[in-house]
Amino acid sequence: MTSYVTLPYPFEPTEAPPEYRGRPIIDPERCIGCGACARACPPDAITVEDDLQRGVRRVKLDVSRCIRCAFCEEACPAMAIKLSREFELATPNKEDLIQIVEIPLVKCAVCGRYTNATVRQVAKANAITTHLPQALREEMSGYVNLCDRCRRVRAASRIYESIPIFHKPSTKATVGEVHGSKT
Amino acid sequence: MGRKLKSIWVFHLNTGACNGCDIEILDVLTPYYDAERLGVKLVGSPRHADALLVTGPLTRQTYYAAKKAYEAMPPSPRIVIAVGTCACSGGIFYDSFSVHGGIDKLLPVHIYIPGCPPRPEEILFGIAQLVGLVNKKVKQVVQRASPELKTEPLERLWLDLREETRRVVGYFDRDEVLNTFKELVLKAYTRYDPRRSLEKLVDEYCSQTDDPRLCFVMKYLYTRFLDILEWYKKSHYNIEDMLREEAWRRAT
Ligand code: SF4
Ligand code: SF4
Ligand code: SF4
Repeated sequence: MTSYVTLPYPFEPTEAPPEYRGRPIIDPERCIGCGACARACPPDAITVEDDLQRGVRRVKLDVSRCIRCAFCEEACPAMAIKLSREFELATPNKEDLIQIVEIPLVKCAVCGRYTNATVRQVAKANAITTHLPQALREEMSGYVNLCDRCRRVRAASRIYESIPIFHKPSTKATVGEVHGSKT
Repeated sequence: MGRKLKSIWVFHLNTGACNGCDIEILDVLTPYYDAERLGVKLVGSPRHADALLVTGPLTRQTYYAAKKAYEAMPPSPRIVIAVGTCACSGGIFYDSFSVHGGIDKLLPVHIYIPGCPPRPEEILFGIAQLVGLVNKKVKQVVQRASPELKTEPLERLWLDLREETRRVVGYFDRDEVLNTFKELVLKAYTRYDPRRSLEKLVDEYCSQTDDPRLCFVMKYLYTRFLDILEWYKKSHYNIEDMLREEAWRRAT
């Protein structure tokens, strides 16, 4: 009987061991588009950009840049990105190695422009602040749907309203008026 | 590459690799992986080579050497194989002052084999693809996420605990360890005096496991869990009632 030393690999399939660090894969069901992975990634294999025309945030993972350090998996707060055991990645075309996840952005409730938060980020923020007092949550919920500019305007007018010595009814401004559009 | 390749003679060119990829190439040539089955032969001069096996990012130092090696190859088929993330795109060195990027900045690449370093099977897969034994398995994906997000009840607590687990457990086992602890917590909260019974459950777990590290993590998480509860209490977050509810919901 002959015994063979050589692995029959390309002719017969094989699997990587369980702790093998293969290509990372983003789970589009879980990703909230926070960009923590892009910050953690040492070679910038993950990039995040907002497409304000279409109103989506694009999380782009370029496996041909990835060194499989698992920093992204460490950083992800939604447990969305995971290193898989996939290793058969060779390809003649580098574009094949790109994964893009698009997550819708929130539309500003006042001016209608896209904000810099995704719909899922807001959902996540709501889910982890359930312990806050109801009044505070209500105050917060007035802000999460606004763009940066409207948020500042709202904060300013809320402060203005809360300080009695400034408060003259004739000069009181509302968010819509300051911004030039009524909601 | 119009015609099918049969046996490729390769010249190994290191343009600035950290040597990780070169070691893997060495591995591929050992009898265990035996790339010579696929017709690959390592040659000592680019003049004899059909293919250039490039590892490492394209550095300024090696730019002209790589160019010369490519020009010294016979005019056809002049295949370039990029092995490793560095050769594919510059990898971890991509923004270094002395690095141009991947080898594709200089030469037309026929096959990219990413990985840092790629395991020998990955390199074999790449070569097998060159000689037409297998087809590529990856393709670009663009996924549009739906606006809904699945969230768990008590998400905040589990996230805080995960943050604590991060301090002592590596990424590979973290979720598993955390899930074990989660089950202990939910079990304890179906009982009278959950804190005491959680302590007992952790002790029980420690006596059953033969891995002292797991025992340490569980005890650590237990103390952190109590701290988190205290902290929640200060911010008027009455989590214990919610935990009890959730525990009963799961138990029934
Ligand atoms: S494993 Fe490392 S290099 Fe790869 S995407 Fe994650 S953080 Fe970036
Ligand atoms: S994969 Fe994780 S860390 Fe990266 S954007 Fe999505 S949720 Fe954030
Ligand atoms: S891809 Fe990784 S292992 Fe290969 S040369 Fe670059 S840094 Fe080294």
